[in-house]
Amino acid sequence: MDEEILRAENINKYFGINHAVNNVSISFKKGEVHGLIGENGSGKSTLMSMLAGIYPIDSGKFVLGGKELKIKNQVEANRMGVSIIVQEIGTLSGLTVAENIFLGNEDRFVKHGIKNTKAMVKEAQKLLDQYGLREISATAVIDKYDFEARKLIEIVKATYFHPEVLVVDETTTTLSQSGREELYKHMESIKNEGHTVIFISHDLSEVIKQTDRISVLRDGVLIDTVESKDVSEDDLKRLMVGRELNDRYYRTDFGTPVSQEVVLSVKNVSVPKEINNVSFELHKGEILGIGGLSECGMHELGKAVFGASYYRSGDVALADGTDVDSISTAIKHSIAYVSKDRDNESLVVNDSIRDNICLTSMDELSTKNIVLKNRLSEFAKKYADLVSVKMVDIGQFVADLSGGNKQKVALARWLGKNSDILVLDSPTRGIDVKVKADIYALMEEMKKQGKSIILISEEILELLGMCDRILVMKDGTVNGEFTRNPDLTEEDFIAKMV
Amino acid sequence: MNSEVSAGKVKKDGFKEKYMGIIILLLLVVIFWAVFKIITPNNFGTPSKLVSYLQTSLIYAVGGCGLYFIVVMGLWDFSIGANIVLSSVLACYFSESLGYAGLIIAPIICGTIIGFLNGIVYIKFRIPSMIVTVGLSLIYESLSVFATRGTEQILSSEYRAFGSYPANLILALCAFFLAAFIIKYTKVGTYTYAIGSNEYIAKNMGVNVDKYKVVAFVLCGFFVGLMSILTISFGTSMTAASSMSSMSRNFTPLMGTFFGLAFKKYGKPITAIVIGEFIISLLFNGFVALGAPTTIQDVVTGAALLLIVTVTTKPVKGAVVK
Repeated sequence: MDEEILRAENINKYFGINHAVNNVSISFKKGEVHGLIGENGSGKSTLMSMLAGIYPIDSGKFVLGGKELKIKNQVEANRMGVSIIVQEIGTLSGLTVAENIFLGNEDRFVKHGIKNTKAMVKEAQKLLDQYGLREISATAVIDKYDFEARKLIEIVKATYFHPEVLVVDETTTTLSQSGREELYKHMESIKNEGHTVIFISHDLSEVIKQTDRISVLRDGVLIDTVESKDVSEDDLKRLMVGRELNDRYYRTDFGTPVSQEVVLSVKNVSVPKEINNVSFELHKGEILGIGGLSECGMHELGKAVFGASYYRSGDVALADGTDVDSISTAIKHSIAYVSKDRDNESLVVNDSIRDNICLTSMDELSTKNIVLKNRLSEFAKKYADLVSVKMVDIGQFVADLSGGNKQKVALARWLGKNSDILVLDSPTRGIDVKVKADIYALMEEMKKQGKSIILISEEILELLGMCDRILVMKDGTVNGEFTRNPDLTEEDFIAKMV
Repeated sequence: MNSEVSAGKVKKDGFKEKYMGIIILLLLVVIFWAVFKIITPNNFGTPSKLVSYLQTSLIYAVGGCGLYFIVVMGLWDFSIGANIVLSSVLACYFSESLGYAGLIIAPIICGTIIGFLNGIVYIKFRIPSMIVTVGLSLIYESLSVFATRGTEQILSSEYRAFGSYPANLILALCAFFLAAFIIKYTKVGTYTYAIGSNEYIAKNMGVNVDKYKVVAFVLCGFFVGLMSILTISFGTSMTAASSMSSMSRNFTPLMGTFFGLAFKKYGKPITAIVIGEFIISLLFNGFVALGAPTTIQDVVTGAALLLIVTVTTKPVKGAVVK
């Protein structure tokens, strides 16, 4: 049982100036379920992506069964006995279920260049049936199935060949209870075969229950590896966040009254399959949190408020009665939106910091449709400095910046626009602690100026720490509401979200 | 886990799921046929005329099949026209000395080499495929001029079997089955879709993306080579092209490919390409029967294509379409 199967040795990874994984060494034993926890951006997914061949390693090595792992992609990793179920969707649209399961491994069905599709489909269906997924058809194009079913198919893909090491990267948040049970069952059987599961999750009680040992990462550094049976959730939290950070990180005031003035009211907003009849009011100078599981509809709600949700019904109205039904109306009436998907929805990454910051303020910056570059540069520089973007100069492309600095550029844009209502969706996702603290400070400052913020976040601590009021969403509806209170705990919160 | 229960039993898709796309396409054929038949009962749509419409659509559909491998990946090939011109003049030239062997082998080799060149330049220089193929097509056109010294090439009447039934149909059917086979029964098919869906994930699954992009270009060139055999046999003569005059030859095969893409979700893209080309041929000939000026024909054909693709794909609101 105590025999080592996999060892990470002094592993380092940089993204630009961000030291994402900092000299991490961990030993994984044969036949254990090993939890890997840490806040968002602590480096756990990055570490596992390197193990699975998705990212190259900057320095250090993984040793599997005494031999150094040298792999370039997931399929090579699979052949070495390492398999990963990724956080995002890992199946390919347009291919059938069977093609997805065996993608990269078709060779076993290929003879003289001809693929025996029938045999492949049969094998895939056999696996699906064994996994209790009899309602999924191997011949169907995968697009037919929803996110959860596609995750279950990924589980089949990642485990059917009995890998020596299976990485489960935050898969459970997207699964329903029965899907989770199914996953736990396979983790258990892999463990019983004497193999190893590395389990990443934000749900600490789940981690304690499902694992034998837990390693904690913070800011890319391994803090400790502990026995699961010896720790409580509070112990883990302390290790994850670090007490000294906890104090200066979030707001410290409690009981400060919030203005009664309503600046935005959302009434009976629904989006088919995403949000079901959500109503709330946002007050002047309020930080309103919206939390829940990733798929609870909160991200779509952010879009709906900004007029960016195409199938929205119900009303989003400003204090003066203006109906916010399109993005241009929203921007015109001083609503800002920072998307969770920074690179695709928020920023034009292949363009300069200057253009990104000025993009929404072009009308104000141009005189009779003529735009002067100097004026843009001045404007952009002012707001980039205000949020202290680390950059060479204002003409640097956004693509070169680290995640945290990209987010600062996105925020600077709306500061420049002087928006009164800000919808921030996961503003600190994948951002290092220092920048996180900057963003929190900025939010507090905006609150003091009387601006109102809707903070959508998957991080419970962030919501508890920053918000005057929190709505918890579940399956597209508001399932609970909390008012700022020092005694609020994560448990209260989780009880409402799952 | 209970492995005994019904392991390996493959669920059959329903009739509707399997044939829906083809049913829609055939309905379109019937509708267009009926409309023109009613307006011009005497000049259009007799069985023998339908057979001759089919003849031209077969030619374009063969090229459309090749282009499908490229377009599914999100790439473009605008050198098809130049490829046809060069392959056709070479077919004429070599048929004179080698007979049918020259007529068949020369365009296939020429087309395939052009495809390979397109692919290699595209992956080596990392320039958008549209620019690569437009640039190279100028070179291919010039080669056709050098090869013929600018004179019109005429295919000797002894070697025109592929210009009429049944040889043209046999060759076209071979091409269609080959394309469908590659899509369904080789890794190339799977990887083409995988790269088109998400290149990054495909790469992570060990797919050699660059290699399979070149393979797609080679296949495209190969099918255009086959198309050239049919083109020169049907048209019997070909003049070298210059100054991008071959460009207009790109679009009819491309229209068929669009049908294939639009109906991809129904699982029978090649059938969709063939029927799609037939629909376009129907439209064209319908307008000829009406005596409408060519410009009007172009307007209506273009509009009909846009309409059909829009209706069949039902684009998602707000989705980014490129």
